[in-house]
Amino acid sequence: MMPKRWRNFPLLLLVNAVFASSQPFENSAIVRSIELGGSVVHVTTTYAIKPLEAGLKSYSIALGREEKEKTSWLEVKSKGQDNALQVTEQSFDPSKDFHIIDVQLPSAYPVNKSFNLVLETVQTHATHPWPETAAQKDEQALKYTTDLFVVSPYVTSIQRTKIKTVTPRVISFTEPKNVEGFAKENLASKSGPSVVYGPFENVPPSTSASFLETYQQPVTVHYYHDQPCLEITKLERFAEISHWGANLNIEDKIVLYNAGPKLKGHFSRLEHQTQAFYKRPAPHVLPAMTLHLPAGIRNTYYYDTIGNVSTSKLRVAPSTSKNKQKQYSVFEFRPRYPLLGGWNYSFTLGFDSPLEDSASYDKKTGRYIVEIPIMTAFLGTVIDDEELTVILPEGATDVRFAAPFPAISNMIGTHVTYLDTTGRPALTFKYKNLTVRHAESIFVTYKVSWSAHLKKPIAVGTAFLGLFTLGMIARRVNLTLNQQKPKAS
Amino acid sequence: MSTAYPIPSDISPATVKNTASLLRIVALSLISGAAIASRLFAVINFESIIHEFDPWFNYRATRVLAAKGFYEFWNWFDPTAWYPLGRVVGGTVYPGLMVTSGVIYNILHFLNLPVDIRNVCVLLAPGFSALTAWATYMFTKEMKDESAGLLAAAFIGIVPGYISRSVAGSYDNEAIAIFLLMFTFYCWIKALKQGSALFGTIAAVFYFYMVAAWGGYVFITNMIPLHALVLVLMGRFSDRLYVAYSSWYAIGTLASMQVPFVGFQPVSTSEHMGALGVFGLLQIVAFAQLVRTHVSSQQFQKLLFGSVVAIGVLGFFSFIFLTYKGKIAPWTGRFYSLWDTGYAKKYIPIIASVSEHQPTAWPSFFMDLQFLIFLFPAGVVLCFRELRDEHLFVIIYAVMASYFAGVMVRLMLTLTPVVCVASAVALSTLLDTYIDPTEPVADDDTRSEADSTVTSNGSSAPSKKAKKAAAAAVSAPSKGPLSDLVAAATGSAHAGTGNITTGIFGLDSRGVVVLNVVFMLMFFVFHCTWVTSNAYSSPSVVLASTNPDGSQHIIDDFREAYYWLRQNTPQDAVVMSWWDYGYQIAGMADRPTLVDNNTWNNTHIATVGKAMSSSEEVAYPILRKHDVDYVLVIFGGLIGYSGDDINKFLWMVRIAQGVWPEEIQEPNYFTSQGEYRIDDRASQTMKDSLMYKMSYYRFNELFGGNPGTDRVRQQQVPKEGPTLDYLDEAFTSENWIVSLFPSLSYLAPHHFFRSTSDASNCICSRNSDSDFVSMSLLVLPRW
Repeated sequence: MMPKRWRNFPLLLLVNAVFASSQPFENSAIVRSIELGGSVVHVTTTYAIKPLEAGLKSYSIALGREEKEKTSWLEVKSKGQDNALQVTEQSFDPSKDFHIIDVQLPSAYPVNKSFNLVLETVQTHATHPWPETAAQKDEQALKYTTDLFVVSPYVTSIQRTKIKTVTPRVISFTEPKNVEGFAKENLASKSGPSVVYGPFENVPPSTSASFLETYQQPVTVHYYHDQPCLEITKLERFAEISHWGANLNIEDKIVLYNAGPKLKGHFSRLEHQTQAFYKRPAPHVLPAMTLHLPAGIRNTYYYDTIGNVSTSKLRVAPSTSKNKQKQYSVFEFRPRYPLLGGWNYSFTLGFDSPLEDSASYDKKTGRYIVEIPIMTAFLGTVIDDEELTVILPEGATDVRFAAPFPAISNMIGTHVTYLDTTGRPALTFKYKNLTVRHAESIFVTYKVSWSAHLKKPIAVGTAFLGLFTLGMIARRVNLTLNQQKPKAS
Repeated sequence: MSTAYPIPSDISPATVKNTASLLRIVALSLISGAAIASRLFAVINFESIIHEFDPWFNYRATRVLAAKGFYEFWNWFDPTAWYPLGRVVGGTVYPGLMVTSGVIYNILHFLNLPVDIRNVCVLLAPGFSALTAWATYMFTKEMKDESAGLLAAAFIGIVPGYISRSVAGSYDNEAIAIFLLMFTFYCWIKALKQGSALFGTIAAVFYFYMVAAWGGYVFITNMIPLHALVLVLMGRFSDRLYVAYSSWYAIGTLASMQVPFVGFQPVSTSEHMGALGVFGLLQIVAFAQLVRTHVSSQQFQKLLFGSVVAIGVLGFFSFIFLTYKGKIAPWTGRFYSLWDTGYAKKYIPIIASVSEHQPTAWPSFFMDLQFLIFLFPAGVVLCFRELRDEHLFVIIYAVMASYFAGVMVRLMLTLTPVVCVASAVALSTLLDTYIDPTEPVADDDTRSEADSTVTSNGSSAPSKKAKKAAAAAVSAPSKGPLSDLVAAATGSAHAGTGNITTGIFGLDSRGVVVLNVVFMLMFFVFHCTWVTSNAYSSPSVVLASTNPDGSQHIIDDFREAYYWLRQNTPQDAVVMSWWDYGYQIAGMADRPTLVDNNTWNNTHIATVGKAMSSSEEVAYPILRKHDVDYVLVIFGGLIGYSGDDINKFLWMVRIAQGVWPEEIQEPNYFTSQGEYRIDDRASQTMKDSLMYKMSYYRFNELFGGNPGTDRVRQQQVPKEGPTLDYLDEAFTSENWIVSLFPSLSYLAPHHFFRSTSDASNCICSRNSDSDFVSMSLLVLPRW
């Protein structure tokens, strides 16, 4: 398998070096739709594109600098298609305020015939609580800031930004200034749960410095949110493959943090239980979360530094084979104490699953292939740092892997555990800012020879043989200096 | 010769010997398995967790040892305990337990077995109980024979009196100490029997291990000299005694002084003087013996005798003189309370406040030992019958340990091994007699013949009762009962046992007794299992109750609050609580505490007691002076948990009163009728005290403004709840109303104070804007 997206391929830069001088495309419409959440914000931008030249294979998308920093996941599709298009990021020019990303078009479109591209991004750390503290009874209000205009190197006939909130309660939003040249009315309006900016007409190529300086401006939406903003500041996942045990053990060490408004004053159990009783839970309090774990898992354990998290529950779904429809075990995870704003909770969650559910053996090449999920999907939660360690069986050689998206770094090391003699190869991947959209799998393939399989029984057998031999010798050797029997009393 | 039941006659003695030895190994392995398995109730019912209070400190220290190495542990100064004083841990602990776990941990990791240090700690006690069973087997074998040894091993493996201190997770010094105790005694007996300096040295080495592991080593320090002294007084002085004692004492004492916590105590404190004195006495006696062998004048002997007495008297007086001058430290308070059970109550409330220092209630003897307590005297009497040197040891041990077990609950632990040994001797003698297949011949016909046989057998007293002879023959030390049986069956050269006239006739009489014994043993097993699972396997950190549907419900308030502290407060936030919870806070919450279970500074504890029992205005400066950020209060009034702080409150008052008699007076906390109440009639001092205010803060609001009912005290709190001006509630743990879960304290009286059966927890914290100390105290019902 090859990485699907985001391959750095600097040669393509040359192809696009010409875009500034001429205008190969025109955007007949750009509609940006932002779905506000807590820690995670989904942005869907639809580009209606009209090619002005024939035979064009690549379209450029621009993302503002801050927007790019917040974006943790990005995917471009032709409208109505399932397959993502290949994208290439151009090297960043620090003097400019935007990033250019080139999209490989599936086919050359005829001149003046419009087509649609859909850009989907996920932003993390894009909202912040305001006010920054909230008492236990208070609401949770967040602020989200984005640029008013969608940046594009091409002329845009009409563009619009729609910001949707989960609850229809928007406290305030910024009125754009100095943009009357693009729209006569409706600069900004609120209808129900949405704030709409635009439509703005006849926007020139917004990547020009003068445009950005004059017209581009941040707009902020201040809104109520009724789900806690969760962050996993650190996630360490160990996936250990055991052929002798036919077992895939997955262990997550999780540091959970409530990034919502910090608790003002102190926690009152009385209020908390009153809220629970009247079914009006405070929006920034996390009493429990539900996680979907794979089907057929066994020996599930969830503990923290001081023991079992006895408050949590697990319902296991029966094991399913690889190709069937996915079922999930439901893990109702309840921290020892309700997680209020600014509170931490760290714990460990681990389980065994049958190896045959995620591994197969290719007879032709003699290779094993194992599917390792990068993370458990935590809905609406961002994982700031993840370190994934895949521990292969002892003696695995010729290790290769295919990842759905590149890691920040990866390396191979050695891990020594039960009954090992030489240690096991361990692949380590590091990631940042993962969201539900990253909950995909890495495929690792390797070979294990017969002699490597036999290492463990031989090591254990030798150890016991040695022990018994020692015992046998000790029993038969008489070390007494004086061979007389001790005198009876 | 006839037998009561058929015995195979075509088995060679070698086969019998090998089979017997194989069976012994199998039996010992099974006993070890049973000993370990019965201690795992706590792990299976709950989880692999460290129990109670002291084990949390040991666990924390072991983690330091495992993570940073031995020398770092040795030099460990813990600034977070006894804030702001700190504690020199390396010099104030018995390191044996931690070092044992550390060594096991390192060996396992060297073998690529990365076992978690917590699991090593949790399973250490069950592992060592298997070793204890083995040591008891060896010890009892010296008393009687292998079969008695196996019985003793089985008893000690499952007897509740020992399990109470060695269930999985009970990671305390006693976990390894009982094994060391038994093994040291075994080596001592062996050394004494053989006059072996080697075994004396091994005894000394294990004595050293014991010194490094448990403060109860003083028991060995006095038991062995006492045994030696009694032997000398009975005129049983021998070279063997001299060699065994001298090698044990010299090496053992020097070795024990290497433990920093013990230091020079073996030569400077009263508890150790007995051993030194007996050592000196033995030298004198040995010298006298030597002289006597060379000079055989009676008058000279008298002179020697006189000088021995004179030196003894002189030594005794010089000991008193040195004590008086302060060269030898006088007895400690804990020691005095061994002789005068009211002593601690009068002078040292902090010792009296610990429930395991209370005198033992008589039912707990039966609960901890069941039918062994009846067999125990019989076994001791049987020891008198033979009265070899080692039997004397058991007799002395039995007398001393019985007394101590009656004085202090926790010393039940030292009584248990000797009870097992003595009962095993008694029961094994009984079984030997009744399983022996030899049919006695009819009395009248063969009286003369039997007499002559007995005489010819070399028995010293022809008039001795034949039954005794039979028993002696059966328990002859050189051969096991099984070989006896076969020898009898095959009619081989062992003459003499064939024609005894008294004994057990027929299968029925044998069957009645043997079946009874088997039933007793079975009930013993049931009893042990029941007691272990119901009374001794609660971690007390986690409490269990039952849901209406029968499933287990865990009340986990302690850990909830501790973990909250650990995760959401600054690393250096100082927590004030009553000393019971000091180790747990340090271990689970990892936060500095003012006082903990190592109660070395009475004034500091009294300071906390004063803060708790004074009004807010008085307490607040104390809290500020000690940088207290959080105050932790345990309150069980909502769910009916009796081990809470209000019930311990009077001890706080008493201990504070000991230091500040003008400011804190116990009578002020009672009503005018002398009752301890928390309702409307409570005294004003009581209502003003910090503890009272914290406990009942906002309690009424739970009941919708109606006066709430305290389920522990069965009293209604005043309608007007207390208000707090300086403190504020910071965190309160979740709590459920337990539906009539029987309090474990009733089953295990000596866990009364230390193991609590459930809790509601309150923690108080700093206000965000200022340094104010705040607190909480509530427990809420599930609505």
